[in-house]
Amino acid sequence: MTGATAATVVLNGLTLAALYFIVASGFSLIFGLMRTVNMAHGSLYLIGAYIGYAVFEPLYDRDLWYAWYVAILVGMAAAALFGILMQTALLGWMQGQELRQALVTIALSIIVADQLLARFGGTPRQFFAPDALFGSTSIPLIGNYPTFRLVQIGVALAVGIGLWLLLNRTRIGLMVRAGVDDRPMLAAMGVNVPLVAVAVFALGAALAGLGGVIGATAQPLAQGVDARFLLTALVVVIVGGMGSIAGTAIGALLVGLAEQIGQALFPTYSVILTFLIMVIVLALRPQGIMGRAR
Amino acid sequence: MADRTILEISDLNVHYGQAHALQGVSLAFGLAPVAIVGRNGMGKTTLCQAIVGLTKASAGSIRMEGQEVSRLPSYKIARHGIAIVPQGRRTFPSLTVDEHLRLASTGKGGAWTLARVYETFPRLAERKGNGGTQLSGGEQQMLAIARALLANPRYVIMDEPSEGLAPVIVDHLIDVLRALSKDGIGLLLVEQKLALATAVCDRVEIMLNGRIAASTTAAVLMADLPMQQRYLGVASAGH
Repeated sequence: MTGATAATVVLNGLTLAALYFIVASGFSLIFGLMRTVNMAHGSLYLIGAYIGYAVFEPLYDRDLWYAWYVAILVGMAAAALFGILMQTALLGWMQGQELRQALVTIALSIIVADQLLARFGGTPRQFFAPDALFGSTSIPLIGNYPTFRLVQIGVALAVGIGLWLLLNRTRIGLMVRAGVDDRPMLAAMGVNVPLVAVAVFALGAALAGLGGVIGATAQPLAQGVDARFLLTALVVVIVGGMGSIAGTAIGALLVGLAEQIGQALFPTYSVILTFLIMVIVLALRPQGIMGRAR
Repeated sequence: MADRTILEISDLNVHYGQAHALQGVSLAFGLAPVAIVGRNGMGKTTLCQAIVGLTKASAGSIRMEGQEVSRLPSYKIARHGIAIVPQGRRTFPSLTVDEHLRLASTGKGGAWTLARVYETFPRLAERKGNGGTQLSGGEQQMLAIARALLANPRYVIMDEPSEGLAPVIVDHLIDVLRALSKDGIGLLLVEQKLALATAVCDRVEIMLNGRIAASTTAAVLMADLPMQQRYLGVASAGH
């Protein structure tokens, strides 16, 4: 493998890691505060992508430059709205009952997948990135590289920095972090914890929706994508440590790079690599790389 | 009693499964500090937790300034002006000292401000940037007390606030607790250390098996060694 190929493979791994981070950070955020293993996180990705697409298509047909940006906003809003509904109508009522919540969210994911199939059909769809983000950029050593993939990394960085600022520099961030430690005590201080939980769920869901539109711009959107992203999000947060944003970033990097490097070196067995990482982490550090033992 | 009632508990019951932890407790508290003493497992902590909603009462009523709060979620009880320093401190390991205190200060004004807390507990000012897990037991205890006071409550419940504190800090704590009524803050003090309880509070309630077994005063209890023996199992005042 030449140096240029190797660099390309690594950059591919980074861009994939960026997408995984966007999706998994929301998953990790929701788990961190509420201990809810949201098995419908992939459905939130699908909802963001499909509803974003429904708004995108007519705008794009009229050649409006902002079609994609609107899709991003609508996709995030749709996923957030569905997330709020999930938390207030279902999950909030079974707080602390983790198995029940997992089963309810699995049921939801099946229902959502079928409803989207009924409404949008099985034809794969893909967003077209706006002209400003389309085409290729010249990078030393690698040569021309799709601009949108670099944008993907930029968005992931923005999400990571934004989440860090939110959690460490704002009052609501303090509430979220305190709530991760001790929800009842936080409530005894006068904080409306269920309301914070809904806000966190909405944010985590919006990030899944953002991942949906970004992901469906980079690669086709079709049925079954939800299961793939849910599985990846699970692996990422198990490796990185549940509820830690830095851990999620590390987990996403490991999984993204492993997938791309594995595909380049030994395509047939590359799938194993991801799970090999998971097995090693679980054996040596069951709480995940950045996770805290509890 | 000249002291106007702030917090009133009537016929409060708490069950843990089959165990009847609190059996019809009725008490009224005003601005003057009240101590609750008793051996371990007599229901003191359960009473504290039931008042702030950390434990659900199975029957009875809790009135704060005349308003029923016993059926409310704990965040609403807190908004009625009740704060707690819980047993085991329950500070947040993820937050630094300063973050704790900023989270606790409502910004609505009141006697206790961030500056006053740091002045009262200089040790906390020194440890401002330290995370919850890097603090000693005594520092966590100070933090838990500061956190409750920063809410500027009308009534504060402290469950073993001297636990883990060095003797010199305990003396300082006594001064802080005695002065609370001047800020208009009522105090319910659950305390194993009889010397501390009686130094702060004139009125002492003794709990036995989930009930109030005796109501007395600090002076009477300190003078009555057989009474101490019977209810507290201590040979001398304090440890």
